[in-house]
Amino acid sequence: MRASFVLSEIGIGLRRNLTMTIAGVITVAISLAIFGAGLLAQRQVSAMKDFWYDKVEVSIYLCGEGSKGPNCNGSAVTPEQRTQLLEEVGANPLVEKVFYESQAQAYENFKKQFKDSDDLIQNVTPDALPESLRVKLKDPTKYEDLASAFIDSPGVEEIQDQKALLDPFFRVLNRLQLVAWVVAGIQILAAVLLIGNTIRVAAFSRRRETGIMRLVGASNLYIQLPFLLEGVLVGIVGAALAAAGLAALKAVLVDRLLQPMLKFTAFVGWGDVFAVIPWLFVLGVGLTGISSFFTLRRHLRV
Amino acid sequence: MIRLEHVSKTYPASARPALDDVTVDIEKGEFVFLVGSSGSGKSTFLRLLLKEEDPTGGRVHVAGKDLARLSHWKVPALRRSIGCVFQDFRLLPNKTVFQNVAFALEVIGKPQHQISKVVPEVLDLVGLEGKSKRMPDELSGGEQQRVAVARAFVNRPMILIADEPTGNLDPSTRVGIMKLLDRINRTGTTVVMATHDAAIVDSMRRRVVELSMGKVVRDQSRGVYGHGA
Repeated sequence: MRASFVLSEIGIGLRRNLTMTIAGVITVAISLAIFGAGLLAQRQVSAMKDFWYDKVEVSIYLCGEGSKGPNCNGSAVTPEQRTQLLEEVGANPLVEKVFYESQAQAYENFKKQFKDSDDLIQNVTPDALPESLRVKLKDPTKYEDLASAFIDSPGVEEIQDQKALLDPFFRVLNRLQLVAWVVAGIQILAAVLLIGNTIRVAAFSRRRETGIMRLVGASNLYIQLPFLLEGVLVGIVGAALAAAGLAALKAVLVDRLLQPMLKFTAFVGWGDVFAVIPWLFVLGVGLTGISSFFTLRRHLRV
Repeated sequence: MIRLEHVSKTYPASARPALDDVTVDIEKGEFVFLVGSSGSGKSTFLRLLLKEEDPTGGRVHVAGKDLARLSHWKVPALRRSIGCVFQDFRLLPNKTVFQNVAFALEVIGKPQHQISKVVPEVLDLVGLEGKSKRMPDELSGGEQQRVAVARAFVNRPMILIADEPTGNLDPSTRVGIMKLLDRINRTGTTVVMATHDAAIVDSMRRRVVELSMGKVVRDQSRGVYGHGA
């Protein structure tokens, strides 16, 4: 196999077929960029989960004076109940750590949290805030297991999972990611068909050469390789453009726009972008290679 | 060198067979004219030798190989042992004479130093010395056919197949091409030539196989184009 021969054949093929080649590159680039954005969205979700799940806790509110809860009987939790609960929760294998927040501490935290709204603070007294056990779970998704274990315990009024507040947000992100993948899938289908067609036209426009190659006994590999590499080259260039697009997305949309606006959460980093980019190349080369291969099997019979 | 045993070929779209129970044996070094009217099966005969088609019946042996048992990936090796020349030359218009001939070696992976040695040799052999940098459209028909012969012969095949090689040429040029094919035959290469050209067949006095409606109706050593003699 002589590299110079194959390279010059590829060059001839791509130039003859320039408009189709450009169309192929653009379609591949767009489809891979959307696919890559889908992957980044997935990583965004996990970045946010890491960030938030580390901070969320489960609150076990204890009965106060006049509580309506079924375990309270209208009276406040007794010190014995509280001690027993603390021990039992602390011993539960799901629990990483637990601490007790008294009404006074809850009031301090409340004042800190709403320090900008004086009228709110003035309307709340320590008595209005329930005492609670603050639980940090080893696995934040295991909330249900913990809740079912303690919801009926005496002295427990209510159990609240802070994670539940985040879930709708994650659902939206997951759906966005799904949409990105459906769009990417359709685009990739278009790209595969377009590459196939590009190769078919290339094979047709060089049928004189390939006919002679067959006659003089060139091997399949020698005849088909330039076409195959043409397709793969389109895939590589498309993937490179898609990678540049993703980097631009990260630099402009995430770093310049979202990051300064939404300081309370984590975003995908450059590490995530660089982890996604190799997959764009794998997919780009794989799809164009497969598409070219099957087109050649049909249209360049030896 | 070439043996067809009871070979039949029926194309899917046609009721009448293109070849019908053809048995022909061609020895190494022979020069055989394949004659017959259009549609008599000459082209099918040649296509079978190259395994461009498979017969619907019978066996084809070429250069010691049973083509029915030749696996797909060995077909290129078969074709390297057969050179081909056509009526329409089939040169690449954007390549020079040298590049056209070299192309046949490049695509079978021959190294550059060998190409630059054997291509001028074969161009000398076919009488095109000094024209290696010309483009095909700067050459006469006869010269273009010489380039095609050079390309077919540059890899020194055991068999040369020529399908109406003189069909597009004027009478004086035809003689030159036939002399060239004769010279190639004298190097020991088996030549099978399909033709309509009575004058050439008559003057060469070589073996003649005549096909009609897909059957061999005549196989005559030192024959002529028409019937009799």
